[in-house]
Amino acid sequence: MAHKWGMAVDLDLCTGCGACVTACHAENNIPTVGPEQAARGRAMHWLRVERYWEGDFPDVRLKFRPVMCQQCDAAPCEPVCPTYASHHTAEGLNAQVYNRCIGTRYCANACPYNVRFFDFFNPQWPKPLHLQLNPDVSVREVGVMEKCTFCVQRINAASIDAKAEKRELKDGDIKPACVQSCSARAMAFGDLNDPESEVSRLSRSPRGGTLLEDLGTLPKVTYLERQTQV
Amino acid sequence: MDRRNFIKLTAITGTSATLASCGNPEHQLIRFVPDEDLVPGVAEWKPSVCPMCAAGCGINVRVMEADVETTRSGQAGVVKMAVAKKLEGNAKDAISRGGLCARGQASIQITYHPDRLTHPLKRTGARGTGAFKEITWDEAIGELTGQLDALAASRDQKSLAFLTRPHRGRRTALAGEFLKAFGAPAPIAYELFADDVLRRANGISFGHEQLPTIDFARSRFAISFGADFLGTWNSPVAQSVSYAAMRQGRPGVRGGFVQVESRMSLTGASADEWVPVKPGTEGVLALGLAHVILANKLRPADAGRAGAAIDGWSSGLPDYTPARVEQLTGVTAKTIERLARTLVEQQPAVAFVAGPPLAQTNGLFHALAVNALNQLLGNVGQPGGTGFTAGSTKDEGRSLKSDTLASAKALLLDGANPVYDAPKAWKVRDSLAAIPFIASFGSFIDDTSAHADLILPDHSFLESWVDSAPESGSMDAVPTSAGPVMKPLYQTRATPDVLIEVAAKLKTPVALPWKTAEDVAKSAPAAASAQSAISNLQSALKYVAPAFDGEASQYPFYFLPYASLQFGDGSSAHLPWLQEMPDPLTSAMWSSWVEINPQTAERLQLAQGDLVDITSSQGTLRAPVMLFPGIAPDMVAMPVGQGHDTFTRYASGRGANPIAILAPATEPETGTLAWAATRVKITRAGDGDGRLIMFGGEMREHPHEHETR
Amino acid sequence: MSAASSNKLTADLLRPLLETSWRFYALVVFLAGIVLMGLGTWAYQMFNGFGVTGINNPIFWAFYITNFVFWIGISHAGTLISAILRLVNAGWRRPVTRCAEVITAFALMIGALFPIIHLGRPWLFFWLMPYPSSRLIWPNFRSPLVWDFFAITTYLTGSVLFLVLPMIPDFALVRDHTTGLRGRIYGALALGWQGTPKQWHRLESAMSIMAIAIIPVAVSVHTIVSFDFSMAPVPMWHSTMFGPYFVAGAIFSGIAGLIIAMAALRKFLHIEAYLHPVHFQNLGKLLLMMSLLWGYFVFAERLTIWYGNGSAEIAVLRVTQKGSFAPLYWTMVVVNFVIPVSILSIRKLRTITGCVIASCGVLVGMWLERFLIVVPSLGHKYLPYSWGVYRPRPVEIMITISTFAAMALLYVLFSKFVPIISIWEMKVGEQETHETALQRTSRVLGELHP
Repeated sequence: MAHKWGMAVDLDLCTGCGACVTACHAENNIPTVGPEQAARGRAMHWLRVERYWEGDFPDVRLKFRPVMCQQCDAAPCEPVCPTYASHHTAEGLNAQVYNRCIGTRYCANACPYNVRFFDFFNPQWPKPLHLQLNPDVSVREVGVMEKCTFCVQRINAASIDAKAEKRELKDGDIKPACVQSCSARAMAFGDLNDPESEVSRLSRSPRGGTLLEDLGTLPKVTYLERQTQV
Repeated sequence: MDRRNFIKLTAITGTSATLASCGNPEHQLIRFVPDEDLVPGVAEWKPSVCPMCAAGCGINVRVMEADVETTRSGQAGVVKMAVAKKLEGNAKDAISRGGLCARGQASIQITYHPDRLTHPLKRTGARGTGAFKEITWDEAIGELTGQLDALAASRDQKSLAFLTRPHRGRRTALAGEFLKAFGAPAPIAYELFADDVLRRANGISFGHEQLPTIDFARSRFAISFGADFLGTWNSPVAQSVSYAAMRQGRPGVRGGFVQVESRMSLTGASADEWVPVKPGTEGVLALGLAHVILANKLRPADAGRAGAAIDGWSSGLPDYTPARVEQLTGVTAKTIERLARTLVEQQPAVAFVAGPPLAQTNGLFHALAVNALNQLLGNVGQPGGTGFTAGSTKDEGRSLKSDTLASAKALLLDGANPVYDAPKAWKVRDSLAAIPFIASFGSFIDDTSAHADLILPDHSFLESWVDSAPESGSMDAVPTSAGPVMKPLYQTRATPDVLIEVAAKLKTPVALPWKTAEDVAKSAPAAASAQSAISNLQSALKYVAPAFDGEASQYPFYFLPYASLQFGDGSSAHLPWLQEMPDPLTSAMWSSWVEINPQTAERLQLAQGDLVDITSSQGTLRAPVMLFPGIAPDMVAMPVGQGHDTFTRYASGRGANPIAILAPATEPETGTLAWAATRVKITRAGDGDGRLIMFGGEMREHPHEHETR
Repeated sequence: MSAASSNKLTADLLRPLLETSWRFYALVVFLAGIVLMGLGTWAYQMFNGFGVTGINNPIFWAFYITNFVFWIGISHAGTLISAILRLVNAGWRRPVTRCAEVITAFALMIGALFPIIHLGRPWLFFWLMPYPSSRLIWPNFRSPLVWDFFAITTYLTGSVLFLVLPMIPDFALVRDHTTGLRGRIYGALALGWQGTPKQWHRLESAMSIMAIAIIPVAVSVHTIVSFDFSMAPVPMWHSTMFGPYFVAGAIFSGIAGLIIAMAALRKFLHIEAYLHPVHFQNLGKLLLMMSLLWGYFVFAERLTIWYGNGSAEIAVLRVTQKGSFAPLYWTMVVVNFVIPVSILSIRKLRTITGCVIASCGVLVGMWLERFLIVVPSLGHKYLPYSWGVYRPRPVEIMITISTFAAMALLYVLFSKFVPIISIWEMKVGEQETHETALQRTSRVLGELHP
């Protein structure tokens, strides 16, 4: 059976430390846009940690929620792209084909999770920061959209290795950069079509739900609610 | 020749002639022969240790080939080299267990930083103007050796000062040996957010002058007094791993946790219950909990040496009744009763304290109080409680005080930046001006090394032999060392190697037990029995109200400069990923800000982003307002890390430095800076000018939930 | 009509073609200058990257899409006036039809530029066209942007035909009144028109077919443009009302544009004798009707949302009506509804000047309406952490201004080379029979399908 990649984020574990955000930048050649462009709203955090305050001092609480592309099974970004740059793969990922993108930015508007980002300028890496670039990930040019891919380069690499070694992929063979870096083990990645995988198990948790469920996007990231201590 | 061959020949010669004349000779890069065996496209993983804080997380580095621009024998060219591409936590490491924090992930940018120093430099213009010229290593080592020889000749060896950061492993041991053999005093180890008060308290209470290792994974309940253990304190990665196990690692069992502080830290956001407390009274609350436990005989009363350090322990802590504690701390008596009972019911329960409470003039008291509470709860050295890693050695070093550099005639800088992170009142910059010779081993020009006369740049950590002997974080931690994961990109040299070479080249050579940086890294730390004698208190401590600099009538706000998640004490402000990373609690990027309670802001007619002047008795700084619901109305807070005069293109001249207005208050027993003991006043300085940059929009998920239709 | 009045009509309406004052050249140079600056700005944008605009995350569409919808909206002037009024045989349409059709053609051309201007990689815009590509991939026919492509090209083709067909007899007229190079050019344009009964018949049939065909095309075009918004799950975009709302708004702005164009022509070409106050009165009545219809749509939509109390939509409603967009919103309400209804419902005020004032307000208001549909919603989607703010930059403002200059320039040039009032239709009008539109239509259709 084909894989269906999904993730689970346990909000009872996420501490909001942001290691995942930095790991994602490092893994995926995400440009640093600099203070002037960041001030104009062009920072490109494929994965972001949302923070929401509740209440007022002294009864104040702060919640964190890491949000990345939800790889929706009914992705609203896919039908609206005129050139098929945003399309669904057989393994359940929403693929963004940089070469095919002409930059209408319709997909970004259609995405209710605001997880799509646009290259407003050609990315610059003052030398020798370019030596850090991951050769397994394309560097995007001006005018195209980009977003979280569930580290598809790692999925592909692991799949190729498994195929070469004539074995199946095991649960835990693939860890996207964010999942790997998280010290609080708040994130899990795996095959939703394998009922025994960790991510399948977590998606069945009574604490689990998806983000903006009523919009019918069928996202593939399960969020497990924070628990309260009785 | 027939026509076909003629055409072929013309085409070939024509093309090659054209190509040969295409482009200038300058644009044709020479490709040097690589000196490593490289398989293109295939990554190797090599171990190393992350240097960004003292936790010592073991990491794995992904190494692949890349074309590196370099100069050999004066010729510019490219060479294929194996270079580091990504850092990950080493799953087998006792501290990181496969995880890695944001600063650790970003540390790879040190190696590739566009402003990293690539050659030895000698100052040409006035100090601090940034006028340097490149020199050779022979010249640099010659210069340094000459300066040290001059000191020896005038019998002034005692005037050599070596300034570093604490807990830098074997390299500090090398420096210590060098200085001892030379006749100079021990290295000065300074950092702003030192935990020396906690170490001293642990020495008094438990005989271990060391940071604790908290066993969250087996604990049922944790109460943290101000310790940002998931963000910036002690060993955040190891603590986060352990915390995760506490919460969701045991089927059916979820450990609870309460955070007691005056400003919500990153850690405080994850607490089940967040208890605001008046600054400088945290220990009172701890003893209030102990009082309830003792009064109701919920635990055996004897708390050994830890209890004896607290005045009134043996008589049941009569001064710390819930009513009195409520008066002093602001925490209600009901809450105190409830928390005390929870601590006893949810066993094992553990308490700990760090950060702002210990940065008060009465900081030692709070640490001793919490230690006594732990002893009462019976968790010391037990599963689920507080413990101490074996084999840790105390950092033998002098601390930096306002007069430490007064008599120095030569100063060697090894990574410390006191011009930036020491209070202005200590006049570090003036002290430097009076020192005739300053050399720096750091990889960057920062606020302090900008005043150097000679720069001997170290390799970056990925190009070096590294070692770590974690002081805490895991009971399974052992000393480790690892070699360079890549060859040096530039004409830098490992500082241990430089010191060893200088030692040998002195007129009176200094004998050292190591020959290379590798030897140093691999050498075993001194035995644990070399721990210094446990200091005892003159007499048991009682609560004394914290002393704040500035009268409350003139300076109405407590001022809290807190360690930044991205920059720590400012030492990683030069890394672009960290500047652009949205701060978790505020979503700010590339900015400085001052956190103000929204009700206070409304009262002072301050809107988000407006500029305010924050004034203490020491000076004023200007920063934009950040509305922050999680802070007491009579306190304001600023992250430490921005406001460098000089620190590469990414951090120079950016934001404001809260340390600049700190009063030089100290904790009397240890002499460490009480950085949370300053009071300030706030005045509006103008409308926002766009310097506050935020990634997030609205700060509430339901912005109008309190409005009715 | 008498030969004398016929000649006068011809002379009056050909005068702009045959006589040129310095004012014409000055105006052309001025407008062309602005247009060139706009083109230069666009080149600057393509060269330096789209980041020179004010677009950001999350507001990925702003001025350019506003302009796109606005200009496509303006293009509905021609259709309504020309096609519908032809079909109902409203006599007063005659001086007005070509003015209106010209607006349509040029507004469409300008509007169709904006989907290209707003692309991140505009040099690849042709991937929107369905051609057999060597990459073996077609455009995504599920995407409303691809529907836009088809709809606009169809509408443009139809409108140009609708415009050019009735120009043929007038070209012939100019050919007969001029000599030399000019005569030869107009002769070529006249396509050999001799005014034979057979040719008249063919022209009449073609125009009736186009009149019938162009109406559904026009309705579908702006409906499809509205689908660019309503097909996306964005708060206050995903509305079932958008199709009719946009079409109504388009007609509304189109009429306003037409009134202004006609008033300008009347004054500058001295054709007061042919464009009478009653024409403006009638268009003014249409404008009034559209203003009431527009107000009705806006009220129905907002009341429904307010009652529904969906949090995401209420956030957008709030920021538009009470928050940072409130000044723009209430300006829009005043100039789109309050002022036009006040002026146009009182006969005494429904003068040419009154209509022009109301129309200017409507153009401003309709531009604001497009802007207020696009930007507040994008800035306030479902996750408040990602809410954002938009500020236009000089690039967008310059390009916007230059499109207004381009429209004016094209219009001015057109009126120099083609009679802006259809001469033959004016003459026919004098002599028309009392045949009803229905009779004419069935006669034409009957002849096509015996």
